[in-house]
Amino acid sequence: MFSLDEVNLADNDRFQRNEGWAQFDTLRREDPVHWSPEAAPNRGFWSVTKYRDIWAVDRDTETFTSEKFVNLEEVDDDLMDIRRSILETDGKRHLVLRQLIAREFSPRNLMKNYEGFLRELTKQTVDEALSATEFDFVEKISADFPIQVLARLLDVPLEDTGQLIAWGNEMVGNTDPEFIEHTIDSPESEKYKHLPFRSPTTQDVFDYGRALRDRRRGGDGTDLISQLANKLPGDGVPMTDKDFDNYFLLLVIAGNETTRHAISNAMLALIERPDQLRLLREDPSLIASGLEELLRWASPVYHFRRTATRDTELGGKTIKEGDKVVMWFASGNRDEDVFDDPYTLDVRRTNVDHLTFGKGSPHLCMGNALARMEVRLMFEELLPRLASIGLNGDVARVRSNFVNGIKKFPVTVKPR
Amino acid sequence: MSAEFEADLVVRDVAPVAEGVVALSLAGPGLPAWTPGSHIDLVLGDGLVRQYSLCGRTGDPDRWRIAVLETPDSRGGSRAVHRLTAGRTVRVRGPRNHFPIVASRRYLFLAGGIGITPLLPMIHEVSAAGADWELHYGGRTLTSMAFTDELPGDRVHLVPEDTHGRLDLEAILGTPRPDTLVYACGPEGMLAAVERRCAAWPAGSLHLERFTADVDRTGEPFEVVLERSGRTLVVEPGTSIFETVRAAGVSVLGSCLEGICGTCETEVLDGEVDHRDSVLDDDERASNEVMMICVSRCRGPRLTLAL
Repeated sequence: MFSLDEVNLADNDRFQRNEGWAQFDTLRREDPVHWSPEAAPNRGFWSVTKYRDIWAVDRDTETFTSEKFVNLEEVDDDLMDIRRSILETDGKRHLVLRQLIAREFSPRNLMKNYEGFLRELTKQTVDEALSATEFDFVEKISADFPIQVLARLLDVPLEDTGQLIAWGNEMVGNTDPEFIEHTIDSPESEKYKHLPFRSPTTQDVFDYGRALRDRRRGGDGTDLISQLANKLPGDGVPMTDKDFDNYFLLLVIAGNETTRHAISNAMLALIERPDQLRLLREDPSLIASGLEELLRWASPVYHFRRTATRDTELGGKTIKEGDKVVMWFASGNRDEDVFDDPYTLDVRRTNVDHLTFGKGSPHLCMGNALARMEVRLMFEELLPRLASIGLNGDVARVRSNFVNGIKKFPVTVKPR
Repeated sequence: MSAEFEADLVVRDVAPVAEGVVALSLAGPGLPAWTPGSHIDLVLGDGLVRQYSLCGRTGDPDRWRIAVLETPDSRGGSRAVHRLTAGRTVRVRGPRNHFPIVASRRYLFLAGGIGITPLLPMIHEVSAAGADWELHYGGRTLTSMAFTDELPGDRVHLVPEDTHGRLDLEAILGTPRPDTLVYACGPEGMLAAVERRCAAWPAGSLHLERFTADVDRTGEPFEVVLERSGRTLVVEPGTSIFETVRAAGVSVLGSCLEGICGTCETEVLDGEVDHRDSVLDDDERASNEVMMICVSRCRGPRLTLAL
């Protein structure tokens, strides 16, 4: 339990200790739209914790812009355009850049082009993991799988996947000293503030992406890189090199970390609730319908931030133009007004309209159907093969109030 | 700064100003000042909020004017406005300006149809300031084009499509004019074409305002057969397949409910889809294999879905 004046959602250490939830509960109950001051030169930020308010903010891109960047970090004006990806773009340009490859991620296209491949890959991953009875679930099951899918979508050699994983860890784990030399909340990171995630290795990612693009220019490949290299955005304005760099970087990261953590968090929840695990093991057809509940539970992204473009009201509070407004998606996924007994995992719940992917806002996760397919296939392949699974040591979490991630997750298994 | 102005204003006057277009005069004490390019929200009930550009005189503290085109493809926003009569009140928020006029010696205004509304006060302002300007105003027919009588003469080029064809954007914008700012408002197709033509203009030359999409739930009732669930349901006008299916207790995914996010994509097994979303491209529509059930409907009596 945290009292209202103890709440501090900027404190990454608390999230590493899994204390985000208790703080969200306090805010939803006592101050659903809550102002937290920050040390100068920042002023502070609003925390939005109720489902209804989060959705109101997320869908209204006119009032709550992404163009001033989307995490707690405040980016210097002159660096914004250098670091800007579609995550930090609104309006027509955002739409046409998304449209370049958005339909590649449609359920129909994924089923047609990738389900067979994915099913095979999942089987292999499970086979390899289950060759041992004790292993780290993150390392053997969740970590490699999403990035291998991404490697396929980008059409890059499988031997490059290790590199892609390391890059993703460093960027998104930029508040965790295990992944990055200078965490973003340390003064040393200032010298990398011109780079996305303030990460010095982004240049390597850019170089890698540009080499791929240059080779595929003018070709007839159907992979994501070829499409970005050869298609003109719908507004007729070509992508600049910087646009491409940041788009590529986003694909590498977004397709990597979040799905991994969704799988890990869902598995951990099922281990802690054997009745739910039993339901899914005995009737694997429940996995497809219970998927949304698992995604609600997993909430791999804690927050995204917006910035008010005008004075407005939200939850009875007056938001001033220029204020940072943080949508705590994870909190919305535990909102008592929307989900009965929100802390009960119930895979038979129906119509679970969670906020995990950003609901139906313009910035809705472009890969949501892919993520759904990956999580579903993994559990469809894994669960029927298990006679039992249990924790075998302490779970280590990522030090981050952005991704709800698990780094280490030792398990013992008995295969069937 | 205080919170945004919000009040119930009295409809003083409703006047037809062109085919399908009415101008509403809204009155209340102490209305906030506004600048050309501003819009207000009309809160029309049932969660329906629509934005309309202010198109009266900026100096009038007691009265605002908006003009609204009744669109058949509408969730009911424009129709609700058209049903307003003098003496009624309507809840209003704003004004806000995302389309402000920037100082310049020369302006080129491009209007398509009802897109004339934000440009009208701009033209009055820059005209009064002594700037050089011209307006190219396209519409379906002359009688469908509002406010032609309020536009000062010789700088205005009226281009009704039935007699003059479409605006010749190549002739108007083909040669970049570094000393001129372009202000455009109109339908999406026109604005996209303007953007393409202005790519060669100096950065910052082009300013435009888009109208947001509306959801159309009109049409004939039809049946949906849910193959997997073994159910047959009737979808009435004014409601969606998504709502009908959920109300029947069948679990379906959906998110934006406005045909823009793609979450509710559903496989079509039989029947012809009336696509109304902004997600699918022409090929995908023609394939008739998938649809967005939050907005799209049926062209015939029956649709069979893989639900």
